[in-house]
Amino acid sequence: MTGTATIIWATAKNTFISRFTVTPPIFWALQIVVTSFFTMYFFSLLAEYVGNPDVTVAFVVIGNAVQSIAATTLYSVSEIPSVEKHTGTLSSLMQSPAPMFTVFLGMSLFSIFSGAVAVTLSLGYAAFFFHVSFAGCNFLSMALTLTLTCLSLTGLGMLIGGAGLHLRTSAIIANVVAYIGLLISGVNFPVSYLPGWVQAASACMPLTYGVEAARAAVEGASPAEILHPLGMMVVLGLAFAVLAWFAFRFFERLLRHGGKTDAF
Amino acid sequence: MNHRAVVAGFKQQKIQFFSDPQWIIPSLVSPFLFTMVMLFLYGDDVDGPIVLQAVLGGGVLGMWANTLFASSFTISYDRMNGTLESIMVAPSSIYSILIGRSLWSTAIGLVNAVVVFVIAEVMFDADLTLANPVLFFVMLILTLFSLASVGMLIATAFIRTRMGRVLSTIAEYPIYVLSGALVPITVLPEGLRVFSYVLAPAWGIDAVKRAAIDGCESMFGVSMAVDVALLLALSSLLLAVAYVVTRRVERRMLETGSATRY
Repeated sequence: MTGTATIIWATAKNTFISRFTVTPPIFWALQIVVTSFFTMYFFSLLAEYVGNPDVTVAFVVIGNAVQSIAATTLYSVSEIPSVEKHTGTLSSLMQSPAPMFTVFLGMSLFSIFSGAVAVTLSLGYAAFFFHVSFAGCNFLSMALTLTLTCLSLTGLGMLIGGAGLHLRTSAIIANVVAYIGLLISGVNFPVSYLPGWVQAASACMPLTYGVEAARAAVEGASPAEILHPLGMMVVLGLAFAVLAWFAFRFFERLLRHGGKTDAF
Repeated sequence: MNHRAVVAGFKQQKIQFFSDPQWIIPSLVSPFLFTMVMLFLYGDDVDGPIVLQAVLGGGVLGMWANTLFASSFTISYDRMNGTLESIMVAPSSIYSILIGRSLWSTAIGLVNAVVVFVIAEVMFDADLTLANPVLFFVMLILTLFSLASVGMLIATAFIRTRMGRVLSTIAEYPIYVLSGALVPITVLPEGLRVFSYVLAPAWGIDAVKRAAIDGCESMFGVSMAVDVALLLALSSLLLAVAYVVTRRVERRMLETGSATRY
């Protein structure tokens, strides 16, 4: 096993243990089960109540199923450095010779795992509670879409998390991005409803492409037919990952030079 | 109840709010989001009453979120930071301190309602005329009181757990659904509506909407007097339960010395 893989494995294992020590697995599962269902239910009720013919229950339900990945990846991943800082363990982590980017990448695997569980469960809800038909679904396209959505949002989360090394908390930035994502990514209504300049911002969000590709996959689109959204997620995910790497390097150096790991 | 402890709790929560401004999210960003989603779902068909309904709904959901998260974290943070012991050794009851903290969260709820109102007015240029401004203001204050009572119960119930955050996240969307703030509870299945009946703020929301929107009918099918009576009765019950829970938890922590166990 190479050094990088060892670091990722060790930090991922440690995160799984510590998360389940603070929150018993039953409550972790309950959080995903309840939140995924009620988020979909809330927005589907809203869509039904408003009665816009363009926005069906299936439209909203699929959008929110994909969005459940954002709640567990983007937000949780971006929060990791801030939590370490808050609990006073960031100094210990920084004493290790391992690069912080690699350390936090390992830690983010728990969130990726949570995201995968949340979206699988949400799609189950879509089929069994909201009667969305998956009869014509292209499952390969769906799997590719969800994997890329998960990874690209993790990249965005890591980028925000990098700033969290320096800031008192990155939760505000993460929340704003997550909430704005919910508004501009076509989760609950078509992106075309947004003003032009907001549509430009929506084109920079991986969730926009994830939602678009998932809806197409449910209708049977093959991977070749959704190449554009899939490709955009790869491009954005890579861009965020590279930016996150630089952000971690920059803020790590800033903390070490200033001796501010415990500054709160 | 110790008046000075209430004032100190209020002041401390204010300082905490400004030093760690992540409460901006439930206070400002989240109500804005809900309001905007509803308005975009309506498309070009938005007029004054619809905008008002969306603004009120989003604003009240923001107040709910603020109550839920601020209340669940308020003592959890003390426990996590090791300051709960200092609070425990003070001669004042935790109940008085929590009342002060809940009052701050409630006051912020009022600010968020005003901010969402102003944003919607500016962005949509809609006529947001209130049907009965005086009655609306009275009902809003009563709703805030009911939210504060819910906040008190949450804060006391979460004193002994380190999972306040997880539990409040679990409760967030179910409460949004059951509150009737954005979507009337009449669209819910009968089995779910029962849970709305025991939520004190849901009666307040009903009264607020009726005072604000001309011709708005009660989602419970009752008069406004019944709304107010049930709001007051349920809120008082919540405060009484919170008081009993606080006394028990306080005594238990003093006996077991578990205030800093995390």
